[in-house]
Formats: sequence, C-alpha cells, structure tokens
Amino acid sequence: MSFLAGYEPLFELALLNMVLAFSQYIPLRAGVFSLGSAAFAAVGAYAAAILATRYGVPPVVCVVVAVVAGGIFGALAAVPLARLRGVFQALATLALVQIVLSTALNWTALTDGALGINSIPKAVHLTEAVLAVVIVGYFLHVIGLSAIGRGFDIIREDETVAVSLGYSVRKHHMIAFVLSGAIAGLGGAMHAFSSYSITPNEFGFHMVVMLLAMVVLGGRVSVFGPIVGAIILTGLPELLRGFQDYRSVVQGALLMASITFLPNGVVDTTLGWLRRRALTRGQAGTDATEVTT
Amino acid sequence: MSMLALEGVGRDFGGLPAVDSLTMRAEPGRITGLIGPNGAGKTTVVNMIAGLLKLSRGQVLLDGEDVSTREAQELARMGIARTFQNIRLVRDASVRDNVLAGFHLHEKTSTLANLLGLPSAFRERRALLARTDDLLEKFGMTAMADWPAGALSYGHQRRIEMMRALATEPRLLLLDEPVAGMNDAEAYKLAAIFREVADEGVAILLIEHNMRFVRRLCDHVCVLASGRLIAEGDAESVVNDPRVIESYLGS
Repeated sequence: MSFLAGYEPLFELALLNMVLAFSQYIPLRAGVFSLGSAAFAAVGAYAAAILATRYGVPPVVCVVVAVVAGGIFGALAAVPLARLRGVFQALATLALVQIVLSTALNWTALTDGALGINSIPKAVHLTEAVLAVVIVGYFLHVIGLSAIGRGFDIIREDETVAVSLGYSVRKHHMIAFVLSGAIAGLGGAMHAFSSYSITPNEFGFHMVVMLLAMVVLGGRVSVFGPIVGAIILTGLPELLRGFQDYRSVVQGALLMASITFLPNGVVDTTLGWLRRRALTRGQAGTDATEVTT
Repeated sequence: MSMLALEGVGRDFGGLPAVDSLTMRAEPGRITGLIGPNGAGKTTVVNMIAGLLKLSRGQVLLDGEDVSTREAQELARMGIARTFQNIRLVRDASVRDNVLAGFHLHEKTSTLANLLGLPSAFRERRALLARTDDLLEKFGMTAMADWPAGALSYGHQRRIEMMRALATEPRLLLLDEPVAGMNDAEAYKLAAIFREVADEGVAILLIEHNMRFVRRLCDHVCVLASGRLIAEGDAESVVNDPRVIESYLGS
C-alpha cells in the first residue's frame, strides 16, 4: 500500500483530468468543435480560489458557485459561438481561451495577475476526486442514453438528417455548451482546491491540447472514452520518464500513431469490435444469410 | 384542398433553372409518383418541400398554408418526413438506435428530466423502444436490431431510413428512390408497406426510377424532365405519353 501511496498525487491528477476531459467530451459528442473547456475551467478555478482565499467561503460552496459560473459562462459563450461550425468554431473558442487568459493576467486587482492565487486550502483529496468522476460520469452516461444523447449523436453525424427529424440543433448545442462550462467549472475549482495555487498559464494552450487529445485518443461516444484518455495521457509522461529529453517526442509519436490507427479512439474502437464479435458469434448458429458485413 | 401543393415552384443554380414553374399536388391516402430521367430535378423538388433548399420562385402550400420560407425543423414538426437518396444513417449506431432517433417529435419528457435521468425519462425511453421494435417487426428486421447500421446491405439501410421517417408519424412522406438497388421481390414487399401507410391517410410522394414499380404502386404520376413538368395523370397513360417516351429514350 505504501507503494500506491507514493502515486496518490498522480491518481488525483488523473481523476481531475478526467473531469476536465468530460467537459471536452460533451461538445465533441454533440458535434460542437469547442476548445473552450480551458476557459470555462479558468473561470471556475478563479471563482473558487478568490471566494476561498479572500472571503473565507467554505470549499463546498465555492465549488457550487464555480459550477454555476462555468455553466453561465458556457451559455453566454454559446450565443455567438454555437452558430459556427468546424474550424471556425475551433478558432473562435480558442480566442475565448485567450480572452479569459489575458483577463486573468491583466486584471491584477481581482486575480493577482501572473503571480496567480496562492495558499488555497487543500480541500480536494483522492476521495473527493473519485466522487466527482463517479457523479459526473454517471450523469453523462444517463444523458447519453436519454433523448438529449440521441440528439447529440444524430446532430454530430449529420445535421441535415437531424433537422429533417425535427431536432433543434440550436437547443442541443446550447445544452452542450452549458454542460461543458459547468463541468469545466467543477474541474477547475477542484484543481484549485487540490494544488494550493493557480496561475493563468495553466489554463492556456497546453490544457486545450491536452484535453482535446484525451477525448480524441479515448473516444468521443462512450463515457469511458475521456476516462481512458485521461488515464493514458496522465500516466504516459510517468512511464516515459526514462526517455528524459525525448519524452515529448515519444509521447507525440504515440499520439499520432494511435489517432492514425484508431481514429474513433481506444474505447469506441474496442467496444465496436467487441459488439461485432458478439453479434457474429450469435449469428453463426442461426441464419447468417441476411446480413452482410 | 390538397395536403401538399406546389404552385409555379422554381429553383436556380448559378442562374440556370434546375426546376422551373412546377405545379403539382399530393393528396392524403394517395401515392403520387414523381419520375423523370437523371438530372431532371427530382431531388431538388424534395429538398425544397422539406425546407433544405430555398425556393427561387413560387410557393409550397401545406394544407393551404404557405410554408415556402419555413425551416426544415419546423416542417418536420408540421408532419413532413423524408428519406434520403444517398443513405444517411449513423453508421456506427445500431439499427435500433437509428430508428429510435426518429421518434424525437413524440418525446414529451422535459429537458431537465432527461439531464437528471429522472424515472420519467427512462419510462419514455422504454415506451419508444417498444414502438421501435414494432417498426422493426413490420419491416422484417428484428433479427438485425443490434447490428451497426453501416454493416448492413443497401437494401436494409434503405429500410432503416424508411423506419426512421415513419417513426415521426408524418402526414406527408417524401421517399427519394426508396427501392434503388433492391430486387423486385424486395421492392414489392416494401410497396405493400407503402400502400398500408397511405391507407392510413398519409400523403406519399415517391421519387423513383423504376418504371415497373411506379406503374404498379402509384395512383398518380408526374413526369419531370429538365426541371419542367412534361406530363401527369394515371400511370398507364403517362407511360404511353409520346413526350415521356422521348425524354426517357431520346427521339
């Protein structure tokens, strides 16, 4: 057990990354190319950190406020950004990250600028992190099965078909932005309560790329996609420690290889393969003539 | 009053009319055929009725109401459903999930209930799944319910398209080449289903190439060539019309 205890910070980091990856997963599942999760996470983290350090608000309340703030920020961002598509949407949401980042850097009265906010009480440990992943994961699973999940799937695959069946693309994209914002708000706040201090640069380009890679690598349909993606991309740097200077190179190469060969992500590819295998076996006994694979 | 009426409808692409001054009707309980050689503008007509293409001229009337400028989503709510000529399914999702997606207009639980996973959301899902299974049964695809849609043959994929469109319980059903790539036996099995749907009072507009199929099934046939209506009437007289023969076979 003491061996595991040494890795506790790593487990905690992986779990918090899962929460943030969930925030990136929702828009991608709904066909929204949003990279705004880092911005929403910054809003949540700063809201929680400022309330806790300056006003002594209890952490639980801070986290709730961060979730609400993230959700509202997501809804506001959706008004101009939900109507965009593809690379234009990606670029515009990236600009949103830049805006939040420079606000955090320059509004020193509120955020202490580049120094960041320090001496945040440590309120998030392994237990809280596990709880957050289980709760968010459960709700995303339920939503995925619900009418909203069906809307997300059909809008992502083919918007023309979706509107022909009466789906409101605007409504579903708004839901995706709000959920993404609220979950990122939660992830950001938990990050703040786990790491004692936050600085603006943590919520920059690096986080955008990391979250996107987690979901693309893991898979964007099953809820387990972002979970597996977060585990791999949090654990990989540790496993590659031996490569020292070339660590980033190896990590990048692995990412390129997996995206080339598993474009649907590790989890969705595996699940699809398992499902087909089960069907083929079930079919073998009965009549296989009707189905062509 | 006709359920669907097109009045002098036209659509230009880059200044060239793809469809011009088209006037036609579709009535409840009847199967209206829209036929014509390749490039005649048949799919353009379907896209205009379904609200995916804006009209350059004319009007589309649904029960006498001008719906020419309505969005596709609104028209779906008003009871227009369609299938796509180039099959458009969620390929990785199961047959059942593809059909289930068609029931969207009949979902009544609130967004909040769905977000929180309240029991009402699950009850509705079960009820819709039961109706999905009824449709699968009707189309003889129960055995394939769990297969990913993309793994099935064209004929089966077309059937999924039809089930999805029927799941919306439309008043007007637009079928864009529904039996392309099927053999006659398969096609006639579907013809029986179309007839059944029409008998329930649905207006069906059938776009088709297959003359035998059209002759057998359609109550009324309109023939389109180069975007213009060149003949209409009952199937037999239209097929023997010299202008129709010329447009199909050349003079």
